[in-house]
Amino acid sequence: MKVAVLSFAHERAATYARLLRDMPGVEVVIADPDGSPDDPARGQAVARRLGAAYAGGWDEVFAPGLQAVVVTSEIARRRELAERAAQVGAQVLCEPPLAATEADAQAMAGACADAGVRLTAASPVCFSPAFTAVREAIAAGDVIGRLTTIHGACNNPGRARPGSPPATGEAAADGALDANAAFLLDMVDAVLGGEPAEQVYAQSNGVLGAEPGVASAALVTVRYPSGVVAAIDCSWSPSASRPAAGGPTMTFIGERASAEFNSCPRLLGGFDSATAGERWEPGGADLYSVMLNEFIAAVGNGHEVGPDGAAGVRALRVIQAARKSARTSRPVDI
Amino acid sequence: MRRLEVALIGAGLIARLHVEAWIGAGASVRVYSDDGRAADLAHEFGVKAVGSLDEALDGADAVDICTPTNSHHEIAMAAIAAGAGVVCEKPLAASVAEAEEIVAAAERAGVRLYPAHDVRYGPAFARLHELVAAGRLGAGAVARFAVSGYHPRPWTGHMSARSGGILTDQMLHGVDLAYWIFGDVVRVHAYYQGEIAAPAPEGTVAVGTALLTHATGALSQIVSRWTATPHPPVRIAFHVSGTGGTVRHDSEWPQEVQVTGDAAGSIGRFGYVGELPFVSEIREFAQAFSGGPEPRLGPRDALAAVRITQAAAESAWTGRAVELPVEEAGLLSHRGQPA
Repeated sequence: MKVAVLSFAHERAATYARLLRDMPGVEVVIADPDGSPDDPARGQAVARRLGAAYAGGWDEVFAPGLQAVVVTSEIARRRELAERAAQVGAQVLCEPPLAATEADAQAMAGACADAGVRLTAASPVCFSPAFTAVREAIAAGDVIGRLTTIHGACNNPGRARPGSPPATGEAAADGALDANAAFLLDMVDAVLGGEPAEQVYAQSNGVLGAEPGVASAALVTVRYPSGVVAAIDCSWSPSASRPAAGGPTMTFIGERASAEFNSCPRLLGGFDSATAGERWEPGGADLYSVMLNEFIAAVGNGHEVGPDGAAGVRALRVIQAARKSARTSRPVDI
Repeated sequence: MRRLEVALIGAGLIARLHVEAWIGAGASVRVYSDDGRAADLAHEFGVKAVGSLDEALDGADAVDICTPTNSHHEIAMAAIAAGAGVVCEKPLAASVAEAEEIVAAAERAGVRLYPAHDVRYGPAFARLHELVAAGRLGAGAVARFAVSGYHPRPWTGHMSARSGGILTDQMLHGVDLAYWIFGDVVRVHAYYQGEIAAPAPEGTVAVGTALLTHATGALSQIVSRWTATPHPPVRIAFHVSGTGGTVRHDSEWPQEVQVTGDAAGSIGRFGYVGELPFVSEIREFAQAFSGGPEPRLGPRDALAAVRITQAAAESAWTGRAVELPVEEAGLLSHRGQPA
């Protein structure tokens, strides 16, 4: 099975390429023809290191026989790459958010549906066996009672943290209300069975960012027609190290009890002499590996796993409303 | 590839967990038990029950011994004589002499022998070993392990006070971890308190306190406890230090899922715990029997655990520290397994 990793703009691309290369029956192709201004040959270097094939141009990779792609480009590029993949009949796994706007995401979902391929959002937690167990327990209603409130956080570091090169172009707009928000909204969407949001309120600031105008911290409150309220924190963390960075975590508050989910709990603690700091060894499943295995299996057997294009569109609708609410400081009805 | 044929001996609590794990690992299982419970267990999992040990051993690639400790030696020797590989629930045998006989016989016959020390398959303990093996703790200095669990269960069988009680039973888990990370033990001291004979009445408590001196000079302390109530059923915590720092863990630390609030008490802990150590363990054994890589533990570990826990029992009985000889030449002079 031929699977392409499209672009190395996203930091996770190399991880995906390595996991795919190690899967039996998968032939991985790396395509990063645009490179980056700082490192034009970054994709080629990873391909060489992994012993994977490298495609020097987009036309070369979008050829018949391509069965699946993982889209790890900058957000503005995702629509075009997903549409080209759909044209050659390749199944698409795309980093969330699927696009910069709801309209773009809608177009991607439409193109994939027309071509008969599935568009899947690469939200790893939605593939977690533990999260699935929680979701099923909530649905069964016998663990926490009626679900009233969801309280979630995802605090991955942003790109423009102090010390990193300044973000430019699309990346500059890639603030807290993008990937971190999308991961959390995909989880909420899975638990609520795709219920569309009704009203969104959000506030943001740029305290943790290096550039003015980029939301590095953002809190969002979403109300759903069923009465469920989701309060999420999608702020960047001040450091990529734990315990500063973390999540997603999500507490499901019910009328009888709360179920707390942590995708990456601390398994081991202690003191590390090498760093003169706290030791922090994560537990839980390796969700990138779980997600890619399920995605590739689904390509083979035609099953549908993880959030689909419609879920991705719903997430972007909330993100767009949150951006507007953060600007206007007023709740936004959807 | 031909399916792995496994003869499971015993039909109690551990046997039930193992049957499910073997089936999950793709093996074909036949069950034999001399207590008349084999048919029910086999029926529950859709496998075959057989009427005698000979019948169980006939054509088996491996034998999994899940019977009370006193019967391990006889069954293991019969399995080895029949050329079958052996998986044996801990402890490998009731005495050091019996354990040595089993290990020597397996080595002579060229059959694989794996003790079921499932604690090594718990994620926290596996990761601890990885850190130590990768040198991230530097030179090992001190380890302490606190293990507690609810005692009165039918599977503890009959045990005299002199046999060590908790020191040779539950204590084995902490001993095995200490040996895994710090290696050979040369001196053992232990106390026991409370009721150590089994079966014991409801609410029985006991504590074993052991101090191990490793050949490297590293020290381990194990406090092993049978609790009066079953909440939590099992708790293990450790703290290990070396020149590279410390590492610690407590099984009470919340992991991926926990439930809190009004209803948490009445519904108990939420059921998600990930893959059970038994399942990972049996899968690793099954792969090894089918020509895969050797598992993370073998006869040397089985023997060490019996020697150290028996020394703890002897120390508690005599009131003296017990010196353990450096491993005899010839018997497991290398860590490798017969091909």
